[in-house]
Amino acid sequence: MDWQPRAAFVGGGEPQPAIERPDEFVPAARTAPLDRRTLLKLLGLSAAIPLAACAPPAEEIVPYVEMPQGLLPSVPRAYATAFELGGIGTGVLATSHEGRPTKIEGNPDHPGSRGGTDAFAQGSILSLYDPGRASLVRHRGQIASIDAFHAAVAERQSEWLATGGEGLRVLTGATASPTFHRLKQALQNRFPKMGWHAYEPLGAENARGGAALAFGRRLQAVLEPGEARVIVSLDADFVGPGPEQARLARGFARRRIVRRAAEAGAGEPLPMARLHVAEPTMTATGASADERLGVRRSRIDAVARAIAAGLGLPVEAPALAPREAAFAAAAVRDLRAAGPRALITVGEAQPPHVHALALAVNGHLGAIGTTLRLAVPGDEPRAPAASIADLAADIRRGAVSALLILGGNPAYDAPADLDFEAALRSIRFSARLGLYEDETSDACLWHVPQLHPLEEWSDTIAADGTAAVVQPLVTPLFEGHSPLAILAALGGRLDIAAYDAVREHWRFRLGEGGAAPAGAVDERFEAAWRQALSEGVISGTAGTALVAVGAATLPVLPPLPGADTAAMEITFHPDPSVWDGRFANNAWLQETPKPVTGLVWGNAASIAPGDQRRLGIADGDEIAVEVDGTRIVIPQIAVPGQAEGSIALTLGYGRRAGSIARGVGTDVTPLRRSDRLWQVSGATVGPTGVTVELAVPQGSHAMEGRDIVRTRTVAQVEAEPPRKAAPRKPATLYPEYPAGPYEWAMVIDQTLCIACNACVVACQAENNVPVVGPEEIRRGRDMHWLRIDSYFAGSQEAPRVVSQPVPCMHCEKAPCEPMCPVEASVHDSEGLNVQVYNRCIGTRDCQSNCPYKVRRFNYFGYANGQEFADLGEPILHAARNPDVTVRSRGVMEKCTYCVQRISGARRAAEREHRTIADGEVITACSQACPTEAIRFGNRSDQASEVNALRREPHHYALLEELGTRPRTTYLARVENPAAVEAGAAHPDAAPKAGGAG
Amino acid sequence: MSAVAAPLHVEANASPPRLLPPDATYGEVTDIVASGMERRFGRVWWIALGVSLVGTIVMLASIWTLLSEGIGVWGNNAIAVWGFDVGNYVWWIGIGNAGTLISSMLLLTRQRWRAAINRYAEAMTLFAAALAGLYPLLHLGRPWYAYWLAPYPNTMDLWPQWRSPLVWDMVAIASYLIFSALFWYTGLIPDFATLRDRSRGFRQVVYGVLALGWQGSSRQWKHYKSFYTAMAALGVPLVVSLHSVVGLDYAATLMPGWQETIFPPYFVVGAMFSGFAMVVTLTVPIRWGLGLQRVITAEHLDAMGKFILFGALVMGLSYALEWFNAWYGGNDVERDLVLFQFTGAHAWLYWTMLACNCAVPQLLWWPAARRSAALLLATSVAVNIGMWLERLLINIDTLTHGHLPARWGFYVPTVWDWTLFGGSLSLFTLLFLLFTRFVPAVSIHELRELARQEGAAR
Repeated sequence: MDWQPRAAFVGGGEPQPAIERPDEFVPAARTAPLDRRTLLKLLGLSAAIPLAACAPPAEEIVPYVEMPQGLLPSVPRAYATAFELGGIGTGVLATSHEGRPTKIEGNPDHPGSRGGTDAFAQGSILSLYDPGRASLVRHRGQIASIDAFHAAVAERQSEWLATGGEGLRVLTGATASPTFHRLKQALQNRFPKMGWHAYEPLGAENARGGAALAFGRRLQAVLEPGEARVIVSLDADFVGPGPEQARLARGFARRRIVRRAAEAGAGEPLPMARLHVAEPTMTATGASADERLGVRRSRIDAVARAIAAGLGLPVEAPALAPREAAFAAAAVRDLRAAGPRALITVGEAQPPHVHALALAVNGHLGAIGTTLRLAVPGDEPRAPAASIADLAADIRRGAVSALLILGGNPAYDAPADLDFEAALRSIRFSARLGLYEDETSDACLWHVPQLHPLEEWSDTIAADGTAAVVQPLVTPLFEGHSPLAILAALGGRLDIAAYDAVREHWRFRLGEGGAAPAGAVDERFEAAWRQALSEGVISGTAGTALVAVGAATLPVLPPLPGADTAAMEITFHPDPSVWDGRFANNAWLQETPKPVTGLVWGNAASIAPGDQRRLGIADGDEIAVEVDGTRIVIPQIAVPGQAEGSIALTLGYGRRAGSIARGVGTDVTPLRRSDRLWQVSGATVGPTGVTVELAVPQGSHAMEGRDIVRTRTVAQVEAEPPRKAAPRKPATLYPEYPAGPYEWAMVIDQTLCIACNACVVACQAENNVPVVGPEEIRRGRDMHWLRIDSYFAGSQEAPRVVSQPVPCMHCEKAPCEPMCPVEASVHDSEGLNVQVYNRCIGTRDCQSNCPYKVRRFNYFGYANGQEFADLGEPILHAARNPDVTVRSRGVMEKCTYCVQRISGARRAAEREHRTIADGEVITACSQACPTEAIRFGNRSDQASEVNALRREPHHYALLEELGTRPRTTYLARVENPAAVEAGAAHPDAAPKAGGAG
Repeated sequence: MSAVAAPLHVEANASPPRLLPPDATYGEVTDIVASGMERRFGRVWWIALGVSLVGTIVMLASIWTLLSEGIGVWGNNAIAVWGFDVGNYVWWIGIGNAGTLISSMLLLTRQRWRAAINRYAEAMTLFAAALAGLYPLLHLGRPWYAYWLAPYPNTMDLWPQWRSPLVWDMVAIASYLIFSALFWYTGLIPDFATLRDRSRGFRQVVYGVLALGWQGSSRQWKHYKSFYTAMAALGVPLVVSLHSVVGLDYAATLMPGWQETIFPPYFVVGAMFSGFAMVVTLTVPIRWGLGLQRVITAEHLDAMGKFILFGALVMGLSYALEWFNAWYGGNDVERDLVLFQFTGAHAWLYWTMLACNCAVPQLLWWPAARRSAALLLATSVAVNIGMWLERLLINIDTLTHGHLPARWGFYVPTVWDWTLFGGSLSLFTLLFLLFTRFVPAVSIHELRELARQEGAAR
């Protein structure tokens, strides 16, 4: 599973001739000569038999008689492409088996990934094959054709040409595609009076506004947590879900690694950074914090002012509660000491002046340029687009006669006060390009199916400007259209295919300034293009978005709102599983447990345990939240560290459309208004008396005083020398297995785990782990081979949430093995505890004796005949990894350490008569982990990384007293509390128990 | 067969309780038993038969659903991988223990009162063990491969995994089933001969075949006696080993509440206890239904009551030892499990179990309670319920409250769990009703022997 062949494959061929674009009304794809890439795509497609039935290639079927050069059956290939979320692109490598994309990995060459990914990217494979995807052009809900749509557009074009596009509007999400913006510009030139609007339910308006206040320009802050010794995060979940999660988490982890064994890495490890977090609810960032303050969102402003004042900025210090003051004082002390190595960051939910204040503080500390840089946002390279509120107002004024919506789902997620769906229905000509037929499609005249990013040509840029080409891995499985082609069609250019548009743009960009004759430019461009495709990064674009800024202007600070402690505050947050709802039809992501609560298949209001007691309710009881006459009813769950008097709601649920998404969870958008997108104060909250059963796979969150997640302070770890020898093995009656050349082992650093779930979804994709659905989860049957347990520790006032990823331990003395009556659970020569599915008869004796409870039983044919919802559709068989058996009903399964990857590496090594090198086998979880918390390797190799980690003083095995000798072991969670508290022990007291679904 | 004077007998034992009517002759004893099954059965029998037949059909439907849909129709989950399935297996096999234990152990220790109860106790054993054997098959994820548990030559060159207690268990159940069927049948041979001699036509042919040509000659009796006693001698260790192996299913693990050296003997006592209770539960209706009050006397009830009382004391001691060891062992996980048993999600079941198994049987300290059929029946039913709860809780308490709190779970049985359990009770009842119809529920030849010993036979 390495990705060298992609360079060899893409770089090794002949440069292809530029495709001539005949100037006629025919899509280019239909007339273009069959280039090698298309040919290969078709070949791959025809090899994938289940797909051939679903999506016949448009042009020609070529039988798989002569093997294409470089393409070997059963040998997967990786192609570099990119995904975009919220206007920021992240480079990925997509693995393809005989033309079927089956797995996403991070692109190590891309600055937005560096090899790591997030759960959304991992889950995108399932979205590609989602049978619930839109596959038809619809007109008033009736099946139509794309030609009919083009004709409808053409009808209006003369009118737009005459009026300059009066009444024509386009609404997009945040998109950073340079080609898109170029086409948009071209369209604007053609129709100067047309309007552009952009809306992201989880956008960056406040941050941009803050930059405008500070620097006079709408800029985007590019955080570099890897450069920071001290980070103060005010309501900013920067390692949490989001477009930059992989990059920020990796940078953050770089400064959080504590290693004593010097030979572990190159050079002396960096001193551990300290993280201060003030936030209204417990996020991934808050769970990693050394100093954390649970505080209402409305008080963050005051804390920010206190910090600014403490650092000597001319800001009036507000009155703070003692806990807030202590937090601010500690933050000030550390920020001042760190100087340019400090970083203060503010979440999008805060108003612009707080962002501006934070930028001023960063400037004051000299941090701008080191820990924080500023860049031109990729989604608004020129002027910002108008808002959705303007659009709604214009529609109501009757100023909009035609609206094209590219992506997004405003009918569902637009602020409630706009009543966008009703407005949409009143437009004469509305068209919508979307991956799903959803709430917005329903309200539009036309629905045009969109291509999945793995099916389309596009481009995108990362936060710093690094550009990447989005290249398709498969011919469209369903009918679909690229937003680029639709934009071109709007301008009357039906002949421009996305591929041509992207190439044309980069030919222009890369050829810029070249004085060479046209032919030479072309040759240079072809080489650069091929390199860009093979590496996933367009060279020379890194850092191009960054801009130098002067001193930040201190904003004019409005008076602080009075502390209203009586009324409840409601805060809105992105959902870690479905983001803003766009992933709601993805069953993998729906079944991904949310960090902290472990909730799946739905959302619940996060409430402070104290508030829960005050309201006399327990987890799962529904509450009615009423603001200004709008009322929603949602179940709630206690979250440690949630600010008292504040209730956190996540977006993205309660969808009214979607084969999987419909009816799951509660829609909280009705409470969201344009003027209060992120928080509402003065909400009335009361129990309804109804209790719903939340789907939570985790049992208790209390450690019960057991030695499960060990916690050390960095001072404690540094005081201990690394271990010289392995600890004495516990006694056993069974004979020892002979040690071979390979003894696979895994070490998980609990300091670095941010519970982002990338590993969980990666494991699901790699190992064909089935989805069971909400009802089965409520019955206590989950199938994830790798789970992340979260435990609540610390005191009620200062709770801590610790995360522990638990795959199979691959015990050397595995308790499951002697239990199996038929030898289905056996030990292999490399120390793996393997499960022979064919031999398993399903006594479940192995799981009953597994102290870690990592085995999973197919109570139904979850992957084989009894799937949840539409997951049994034949097309989804194409998403499966052909190297991994699909398990049938009645069979036990569990983590295999990705044995198929080990076998692959062994075959490669044996061909070359060598042993497998350290780092050659990477499990799916380890590869996906953005913080590199999961390390895998060969324990027999004394120089291997896992051996170095096993010598760390804070290394331990889970439940080692049982004598199971796990191969999966842990590094204690290391914390870096402020010096005054360094000596204080961390009791593993339990603030909360229960939550059993 | 010379008559022995009654006074001699009285002199030999200070105050022996008489187990048969003082004037019972061989013929009368035979009539008492045989007439019970030869007369027309009343409405109660037919209603009971109908109800249990319906229940059996429900069980078959439940099994059909299980096999076609999968184990998922049950309440078992990723944590509580075992629930009703294994709990009911252990409960049934425990009941299945008692018949043979009563027959063989009481035979070897020359408890004369055994003669009145051993036959149906053995029948109970056979039916219960057969039902118990059903559960391990059905609880498999892929029951059609159950034969992989057997050591048979195959192309895969694979044998079962001998370290697994499940393999030991399978061998133990199989041997026990074969043994108890043989033992029961051996005891029946002279009685089949009696029935053959009393019947006409088709019945006579059937009983004649079943009697295997029994003539009642002295030579046959001599061989019969040595064979039967030898089987009884084999039976006792087999019974003990069977339930010890069931205990090892749990004890050979490292889960809290299971990994206890006390488990094998504790399971044997538990089995005897629940089995005896089931014998009493069956005795009272059989005695009433077949009009056997004259051969199953208050003395019998009294003796069985004492056994139940003794079992309750040993069970109480075993529980106390479990708690003590959990505390004394100093293992937090074990201690926490005991606390969970008393206060956790299934605490009310645990308290009910303690009440049924330990508290209610204390009633039997009073002789009047032991000799009252109604009170004894109530006590034995309580013990049956208590032991069923114990078997269930052994599974679900440990599984849902293991080493990692993050994987603490819950268990809720579904309608298919209940229908299979209720159906197995129905099938058991059905088999028993048919048994009372076609097989002498009390051993005629042993009663005759008893009559001889009591000196009443002329």
